Amino acid sequence: MAAVAKKKGGFLDFFKNLFKRKERVSADAGERNNWKAWLYLAPVIILLSVFTFYPLINTVVIAFLKDYDYTTQVSSGFTFDNFLTVLTLAGKDASQNLVYKWNCTYDAALGSWVYNNGTELVKVYFQTDVLKYALPNTMIITFVTVPLSIIIALLISVCLHSIKAFQKIFQTIFFVPYVTNAVAVGMVFAVLFDSQGILNYIFGLGTYYWIDQTATHTSAMFALCVYIIWHALPYKILIFLSALQNIDKQYYDAAKIDCAGKFKTFMNVTVPMLSPQILYIMITSFIGSFKEYTSVVGLIGSAGTGGTNNMYTIVYYVYDCLKAPTTVSRGAAAALMLFVIIMIFTAIQFQVSKRRVHY
Amino acid sequence: MEIRLKNLTKCFPGNPKKGIPDTYAVNALDITIPDAKLVGLLGPSGCGKSTTLYMVAGLLEPSEGEIWFGDEDVTDLEPEKRGIGLVFQNYALYPHMTVYKNVAFPLTNLRIEEAVKDKDGNPVMDETGKPYIKKRKLTKDEIDKIVRETAKIVQIEQYLERKPNQLSGGQQQRVAIARALVKKPRVLLLDEPLSNLDARLRLQTREEIRRIQQSTGITTIFVTHDQEEAMSISDEIVVMKLGVEQQRGVPQEVYNNPCNKFVANFLGTPPINLFKGRIEGNKVYIGNEVVREITEKDVPDQECTVGIRPEGIIVDPNGSFTFECDRILTMGRDIMLVAEHPEATTNTKFIVDAFVEVSTGTVKCSVKPHKCFAFSLEGDELRII
Repeated sequence: MAAVAKKKGGFLDFFKNLFKRKERVSADAGERNNWKAWLYLAPVIILLSVFTFYPLINTVVIAFLKDYDYTTQVSSGFTFDNFLTVLTLAGKDASQNLVYKWNCTYDAALGSWVYNNGTELVKVYFQTDVLKYALPNTMIITFVTVPLSIIIALLISVCLHSIKAFQKIFQTIFFVPYVTNAVAVGMVFAVLFDSQGILNYIFGLGTYYWIDQTATHTSAMFALCVYIIWHALPYKILIFLSALQNIDKQYYDAAKIDCAGKFKTFMNVTVPMLSPQILYIMITSFIGSFKEYTSVVGLIGSAGTGGTNNMYTIVYYVYDCLKAPTTVSRGAAAALMLFVIIMIFTAIQFQVSKRRVHY
Repeated sequence: MEIRLKNLTKCFPGNPKKGIPDTYAVNALDITIPDAKLVGLLGPSGCGKSTTLYMVAGLLEPSEGEIWFGDEDVTDLEPEKRGIGLVFQNYALYPHMTVYKNVAFPLTNLRIEEAVKDKDGNPVMDETGKPYIKKRKLTKDEIDKIVRETAKIVQIEQYLERKPNQLSGGQQQRVAIARALVKKPRVLLLDEPLSNLDARLRLQTREEIRRIQQSTGITTIFVTHDQEEAMSISDEIVVMKLGVEQQRGVPQEVYNNPCNKFVANFLGTPPINLFKGRIEGNKVYIGNEVVREITEKDVPDQECTVGIRPEGIIVDPNGSFTFECDRILTMGRDIMLVAEHPEATTNTKFIVDAFVEVSTGTVKCSVKPHKCFAFSLEGDELRII
């Protein structure tokens, strides 16, 4: 929501007060010099305030504004309607009046939701993209790509760690995807998954449509997950590899003496020893994949196949909401909900990890 | 299980292009370790004692030579098939497992051979008429029983549910020994097991190791750089220097009859006092004083190094030996004098019984002849008498 950030009064007052307070004469030398500390911190604090804290707070505020128009900055009070709209609990009729779902009934003959405005039955249109596409897609992406990429990265880094020859070269090769742009890589994958592409050629699939406009949701999602996993590997490998190099070799010697096989050593020595890194990677990549958006743009190029929004993710939806001034508050509401989802999942992971992570 | 090392050599190749020569960590070591004995490998750091131990364990591959466990050549055998228990210098306990799991871990990997029995309890025979043997894992109850038995031997029963970092150094050490013992190894290897403990705990733990070794009767190799430690608990010690065995034998025998200057100097605290001396007419001289007359054999006249054990110098008003005493160190049980002598290569230290009155300044002393050795100045500085 950084693009939406607008300066408001009161922001500078905060700083004026801040410095005023520090000018008090105090006997304590340390406290007297506090203004210097604030001065040194000022660049960071100012930048963070303008580009992080203020947009963050503003997003929360906007999410609760009623009939908010971001070009005119006009709104008519506070409401929960934005959240209800996102969750399809509120919809709009043809004349843009907001209608709550609990006032509507489903008319099978008309094939849509209707409500009685006193004189006639009026069709109501719900914003279904989030519940129908964005949320399930985001969940699929998260729960498929995160575990898979962690397991694959772990295996690759253990392999990389055990080879002696060309180790540095292989490390570099595996790290290259990290420094390449997601959109550029997406275009490469788009070529690979093209109906005329090399993948169909190699596997003799003829002209199977993976990601084109005629492709199914499943095949597009498959291609997307492959691409996300591939792009997520290098950073994880980097973290695991450096952690592997820090494990004392004596534990492996001890495991050898204790007659543990390779797989048992991996499960009983390597994985527990890497558990802090695994937790770190898990939490950061869960957060990262909840916010997945660029990969869809990079690979598919649009919000979906066949003219629908079936490849929507939550952040893609938020981004689309920013296109019209009147839907901005709905985007803010969706962003806020995503934030809550991420918070809940992170909290769960911390709880689960308490017994399993060994520092 | 008798252990024999035959011509055991470990060479770390150098780089001839850069003029770095090959490094021999262990050079042509021939040792036989008798069954059920505790043998101490002793030497200063870098003398190849740990390398030897790791080669016996199978974690390092020897460049040359053979390792025999009884009648079995184990030189090329994988470490897990050798049936050894190894206690690492810093114990290498798995930090994420409880003590119980640490000790049980080797057992979970163990496969025992068992004759297959039919319904009536008779062993099933195969075509050749031999009983049909099947390998199986230990059951949970069997593991539990063995773990608790072993824990009892090393007295860690009350710590079984703790993690290693909740234990003291001595307790961790006992856990490490338990883990090494639990699968009933043929050979127990200890790599400087006491170096992480404080002085008092060290005394206690080395007794413990001796007790455990004697009660289990497992052939044990014990690596240390602390001569006192090795001498106090070993049945036999092997003194090593730069990968080469210097002397082997019963600790007291090696101490009383060191074969060369290195062994004499390495064993004993405080170390032996060394003087420039000479042999003339079958008498050992330091300066103009005769310290020992040689009666056993005829020795040609020569320059030599004379070594006298600290306890071999006695304060004696009628003695012919004169020192300048710098300091008196009171050690409780006895008194140590730090003195100077014009022919001494270092500060001379000698131990005086606590009841003898001494003061700094000139001290007259005599020398116990059997505590006095003469070493050649050439080659390996072998002992002359």
